[in-house]
Amino acid sequence: MTTAAGLSARDVTLAYDARTVIEELSFDVPDAEFTVIVGPNACGKSTLLKALARTLKPVSGEVLLDGRAIGEYRSKAVARRLAMLPQSPIAPEAISVRDLVGRGRYPHQTLLRQWTSADGDAVEHALEATGVAELTDRHVAELSGGQRQRAWIAMVLAQQTEYLLLDEPTTFLDIAHQYEVLDLCSRLHAAGRTVVAVLHDLNQAARYATHLVCMKDGAILAQGRPDEIMTSELIHAAFGMDCRIITDPESGSPMVIPRHTRELARR
Amino acid sequence: MPASTAVQPRTPPATGAPPRPAARVLRIGTWVSVPVKPRSVVVGVLIGAGLFVTALLTLTLGDLGVPITRLLIPFGAELGAQEEFVLSRLRGPRLAVTLTAGAGLGIAGALFQTVTRNPLGSPDVIGLAAGASAGAAAFGLMWTGIIPLPAGALVGAVVAMVLVYAGTGQGFSSPARMIIVGIGVNAMALAFVQWIITRTTREQATVIAAYLNGSTASRSWDDARLMGLAMLVLLPCTLALSRRLQIADMGDELADALGAGAVRTKVAAVVVAICSATAAVTVVGPVAFVALMAPQIGRRLTRAPGPNIAVAALTGALILAVADLAVQQGPFGVQLPVGILTAGVGGVYLGYLLMKEWKRISV
Repeated sequence: MTTAAGLSARDVTLAYDARTVIEELSFDVPDAEFTVIVGPNACGKSTLLKALARTLKPVSGEVLLDGRAIGEYRSKAVARRLAMLPQSPIAPEAISVRDLVGRGRYPHQTLLRQWTSADGDAVEHALEATGVAELTDRHVAELSGGQRQRAWIAMVLAQQTEYLLLDEPTTFLDIAHQYEVLDLCSRLHAAGRTVVAVLHDLNQAARYATHLVCMKDGAILAQGRPDEIMTSELIHAAFGMDCRIITDPESGSPMVIPRHTRELARR
Repeated sequence: MPASTAVQPRTPPATGAPPRPAARVLRIGTWVSVPVKPRSVVVGVLIGAGLFVTALLTLTLGDLGVPITRLLIPFGAELGAQEEFVLSRLRGPRLAVTLTAGAGLGIAGALFQTVTRNPLGSPDVIGLAAGASAGAAAFGLMWTGIIPLPAGALVGAVVAMVLVYAGTGQGFSSPARMIIVGIGVNAMALAFVQWIITRTTREQATVIAAYLNGSTASRSWDDARLMGLAMLVLLPCTLALSRRLQIADMGDELADALGAGAVRTKVAAVVVAICSATAAVTVVGPVAFVALMAPQIGRRLTRAPGPNIAVAALTGALILAVADLAVQQGPFGVQLPVGILTAGVGGVYLGYLLMKEWKRISV
């Protein structure tokens, strides 16, 4: 079962101070897939992502990268293989898009060699791949929500890692910008990266994920291809909500239609 | 597979203007390549020129001033006994102490403000300077003869910082709490100083009063050497830290993800800031507001993100040197400690900052 390669959590128990969120959970990040983790609020989906990104240390159990505990690597070495965009990163005051993206190169730099041509190339590539190349000299503070999120994704992209972990990358964006960011993630996956994202919207998750993970109360209820696992029973078990599953006429992926509650149906 | 196959890769927009270079890079051989911001370099050179002019004025103005023609003659040339005295005993060491202590305060301010993510985060506001005063007063007036005054200041500063660290309940990771607890520690330390002064004789109190305001008067080459040595050790540490600080500026989680170790970076920065401020406070006393103003002014001039350590150090040196020139040559009377001048000017600046913050929050 355990493969030597890849990123996985082994029997991890995760807690914030005294509050335990996840107990003895194991999860293998499928390679070269676009994994989306969904689940009700406080089910531990962001917590699991943080553990995989080694920004939250497990109370017990371990996260493995290529079969070795992730804590045994030098932190910068991990950052060259795995990038994580938190839910609310802070843009430093008066920083330009180019400088922000450039900071993603930190794990590739040393004290004396702080900027090489490889850094410049990676930044240019990331700027173009995310469509913010025309915004490079603008201040991050003056961008729209969607542009800003693309600039942040460009920053983690400049890290040039095989794994890309995104914690609710669409939160606070309007619907057009949400799809713009998800399209971008999808392109990055198509270009060969292993992407793991936490999302709130089930229909977006079903449309974009190649591997869907549904969590509840710190455990994984189901995982697999969206069209195989997305059932009204699963949604009811996870969210306690009655729904119908229909086929998304645009993408052919499963789509969750919540049932009318009785009081409303009577009107 | 979901319908993401329908998504076309976006072509990069065609812009008429050629792309600007990513950054100017300073290269030394193949193993050093450091990005440089042209504007920051210009600002640094201008402040350096300002420092040079201020230093010249400090040495040449007034009744005791050494004429500029004599000053620029290479060392060892025929200086009169009085000029010799002014340069090597009076103004020379005082100038050296002023420049290095100003730089030390500038560095401390830049580090504190970056770590606390707050323009008000400075050794003044969070109680370090007041703690140093309390330590100096305690070991200088009450428990005399145990350790020298500067060591007392060091103990006081460290105790104040330990109190702040413990008082927040979250160490140095919560900026808002650090400032609130710091204000409390600051008040406690000042009360302690007053208590000690009430218990001592007037003569003793007068002696320590100048120190407690922050003064650069009658400093020796020993003071200058101590501060210079501190800068020699701390400046490289700070410059090495500044890259990690830039990363930590984007939030703890992202800093950890990028491999910059948020907590380690912050703790290291706070330790260096405390050492730097303590060294300065030990030598010139708690000169107010230089640490608060220097990084702010530096940042406005360079318009660059990040701690801007070098510019903050230069700005701190310039502020203190100009203030010291003013108290020496201005119409304040002979004995005005420089700290009273910086406190007066800095108080106005603090008010301005608070108003700005207030407007920002209430908008």
